[in-house]
Amino acid sequence: MQNTSMSSLEADVLVIGGGSTGAGVARDAALRGFSTILVERRDLADGTTGRFHGLLHSGGRYAVKDPSAARECIAENRILRVTAADCIEDTGGMFVSTPWDDPEYGDQFLEGCRATGVPAEEIPVAEALRREPRVNPGIRRAFLVPDASLDPWKLVWGCARSAEEHGARILPYHRVLDLEVDGERVVGAHIRNQRSGEEFRIHATVVINAAGAWAGQIAELAHCRVNVRAGMGLMIAMNHRLVQMCVNRCKRPADGDILLPLRTACVIGTTDVFVPDPDETEIRQADIDLLLDEGEKLVPGFRQARALHAWAGVRPLFEDTAAVAETRDVTRSHALLDHSSREGVAGFLTITGGKTTTFRLMAEAAVDAACQQLGGLRPCTTAEVALAGSESHVPYRIGNRLAAREPLPQAEEIICECELITRSMLEETIRERDTTSLDDIRRVLRLAMGPCQGGFCIYRATGILHQGGKVDQADANRGLLDFLEERWKGIHPILHGDQLRQARLDDWIFQGILDVEHLPA
Amino acid sequence: MSYDTVVVGAGLAGLTAALRLTERGQRVMIVARGVGATHLAPATIDVLGYLGDTRVGAPAGSLAALIAASPDHPYAHITADQLATAVTWFGAHAAALGYSGSVGENMLLPTALGVPKPSALAPRSMAGGDLRGGGRFLFVGFKGFKDFHPALIADNLVRAPLPLPITARALELEPPSSRLGDLSGRVIAGRFDADNLTDWLVGELENRVEPDERIGVPAVLGLRSGDQTWQELEKRLGCTVFEVSTLPPSVPGIRLFNALTAALRARGARLVLGVRAVGAHANNGHIDTIDVANATGTVSHAVGSVLLATGGFPSGGLELDSFGATRETVFDLPLIGVPETDRVRFAPNYFDPQPLASAGVPTDDLLRPVDANGHPVYTNLHAAGAILGGAIPWKEKSGTGISVASGYAAAEAILAPAAQSVSEAVR
Repeated sequence: MQNTSMSSLEADVLVIGGGSTGAGVARDAALRGFSTILVERRDLADGTTGRFHGLLHSGGRYAVKDPSAARECIAENRILRVTAADCIEDTGGMFVSTPWDDPEYGDQFLEGCRATGVPAEEIPVAEALRREPRVNPGIRRAFLVPDASLDPWKLVWGCARSAEEHGARILPYHRVLDLEVDGERVVGAHIRNQRSGEEFRIHATVVINAAGAWAGQIAELAHCRVNVRAGMGLMIAMNHRLVQMCVNRCKRPADGDILLPLRTACVIGTTDVFVPDPDETEIRQADIDLLLDEGEKLVPGFRQARALHAWAGVRPLFEDTAAVAETRDVTRSHALLDHSSREGVAGFLTITGGKTTTFRLMAEAAVDAACQQLGGLRPCTTAEVALAGSESHVPYRIGNRLAAREPLPQAEEIICECELITRSMLEETIRERDTTSLDDIRRVLRLAMGPCQGGFCIYRATGILHQGGKVDQADANRGLLDFLEERWKGIHPILHGDQLRQARLDDWIFQGILDVEHLPA
Repeated sequence: MSYDTVVVGAGLAGLTAALRLTERGQRVMIVARGVGATHLAPATIDVLGYLGDTRVGAPAGSLAALIAASPDHPYAHITADQLATAVTWFGAHAAALGYSGSVGENMLLPTALGVPKPSALAPRSMAGGDLRGGGRFLFVGFKGFKDFHPALIADNLVRAPLPLPITARALELEPPSSRLGDLSGRVIAGRFDADNLTDWLVGELENRVEPDERIGVPAVLGLRSGDQTWQELEKRLGCTVFEVSTLPPSVPGIRLFNALTAALRARGARLVLGVRAVGAHANNGHIDTIDVANATGTVSHAVGSVLLATGGFPSGGLELDSFGATRETVFDLPLIGVPETDRVRFAPNYFDPQPLASAGVPTDDLLRPVDANGHPVYTNLHAAGAILGGAIPWKEKSGTGISVASGYAAAEAILAPAAQSVSEAVR
């Protein structure tokens, strides 16, 4: 394996995985003064983090059945509201007992919240319906909790930028081909740049495996065993904010019991099914129907509302011992594995399980453990220091983009009317992110994530990419076609009603008017 | 009120039919929820551009092959003569746009991505972009207009399969600073109508055009005065100028809508937008009255015939609900091209054949919607345009051709003595 001609990088800490956990670890390590490199096989937040529902848990969901997870959630919830303010919309949360739920569970719920320190307050049903007029008028109880809506891409990019400001190198589209094991120690990794094809080594004192549902695959490269299973969860984004707060069913956590506002849309989630391969997440019609039916229970008329997009994410479910039959029975607390004590392999840690709400805590635990192998504990500061972009501690508000735009409505071109993305925002992102991928730009700016799902902005963005000299016509064409294929994956499983009207208009635009099918290579 | 014919839908099919019916003296009302696809699509008449993956050079000559491959296609109910008559008639009646071309041969007009697209007829302001003869092209964009990217057009076109080689280059002009901002095609067109943007454009271009170059500009040269602006540009620049259609709203399409509705009004037709046909009362398979809902209630109109031209899914003529059921939204007519509710409706790859793509209403040769046994659902109900099943117009590049041909043919069927006598007899 040793290839002396291959170039190499050196670092104290190599982080594998660019989701919230990995980005959090990289930021934490960099803030503690360790030289740090993060590698991610695709784009940042392209795995589980970018595919979850977007709920910043208060802990209420876990108060009854997983009290330690609930305690972690409320503690982290309070920290992130300050340090990651720009990623959070303070929507508040409400647990409601619908006619399908046992109202007496509410007593257990309140008791669980009290025991775990999650602030919960019962409010009269009339008051709940005044706050959320679309919620089923048949609800029998309602409770307020400090849930909030979290933008996963902002969170991960905020962590990545903070890490870079402290000297870390963040390398998306870099895949780990192998781990380099020297005797009883992991000393680095063999990496391939997925875009250029270049291969090189990264040597590090400690390698932290933060690959989430893929952590088992990474651990195997060092002949270590991490039994992490992938629990697939389906989400559907609806065109409007049918609710303004994060609305949960007040019952034991089950499928389709969360509906929360996320920017201009709202998201219903989720399901939970073990899948053998975290990269194979086929959306089944039965699961779509299940979510729509559950949505109908929460918000009557849900099936007539406009559904935009469906997607699936995979939770990393860690099981240290015997097999567990039901994914919901696996704890949502995280697991930190030091492979020197487990398998006698030094310099190698795995941090997995957990959830996005507790990503910071997971990072702290992982870097604390790494410190022991890096010459002594350095204090963690991530509970106090703000993420890049959140320095002002002002929470995100839904009208921010509009407010910025309104004083000068004719100042410049709006490339995406759905998400109010201007030409300069687009050009700045292309420049700063050094990317030509429409999908990468989508995750940063929410390009093409509104009602028309890119019907108008994708032609414009393609033209601007090409005009800027970033791509030649062949790459511009390929990027456009790839994007159309990629977005279709999320559109076709849920396509009906008004969104089918939109999709057919998009067919007319791309095929009928622009004739993308006959673009030259 | 009573009408000889009530046309449901104000898109190209409905307007074409209404114009033909009024020309023959009928009293016609057009009711629609809003304007139709004219405002979205280029004003070219695309009869047939592709047979599968093969680009079609002679659309009329390729219809037999199309019908052999797609027996349920709307063109299967329209004779070749009818098609030629309809398209020629249409070109003459939308004279304000000055159509050129024929059903015999396709032009190849550049799209806003730089793909040569086959069209049988085009407004003369667009026809100069015909790429078949080769030559040198200059594509001109306007800074601030996000819906037109001339460099991409030029770079793609020179690589496109064409009968003769072309060269193409791009230029982006900066309109007067007071004219910058977030500009839609419609806004720029309004400025060509109202202001002196023509002088500015001539001034910018006159020293930058090579003598034998043809100049492609976005199709925004004015809503009212587009044709005059185009003529003036050609005259003053001394070269061929042509408009290239781009994203909706379509300025040439709005011109076409305005031209057709002006002609209809001149002939006394009534056009009512913002209403919805919600059903009909029939006796012995004959529609006597049609119900039209407006903001305050529902009004019944006695009718001789009804033409359904509500469009497909994008226009609301068809609907798919969240349980997988597809329906025609006014009369709940039988449909073809609809998979069973428990079957896959959408293929997982975007460009693969889509099972629901050709969904629509089946008809007889008088373009009357038929049931599973081939019998007309109503003796005096006809259908035209994108509501017709059996076609995939955005892939075939046949949408406006189907609308014009079926709109005209449905009008002829309504006017024909045979159909007339049946309605008269029942009436």
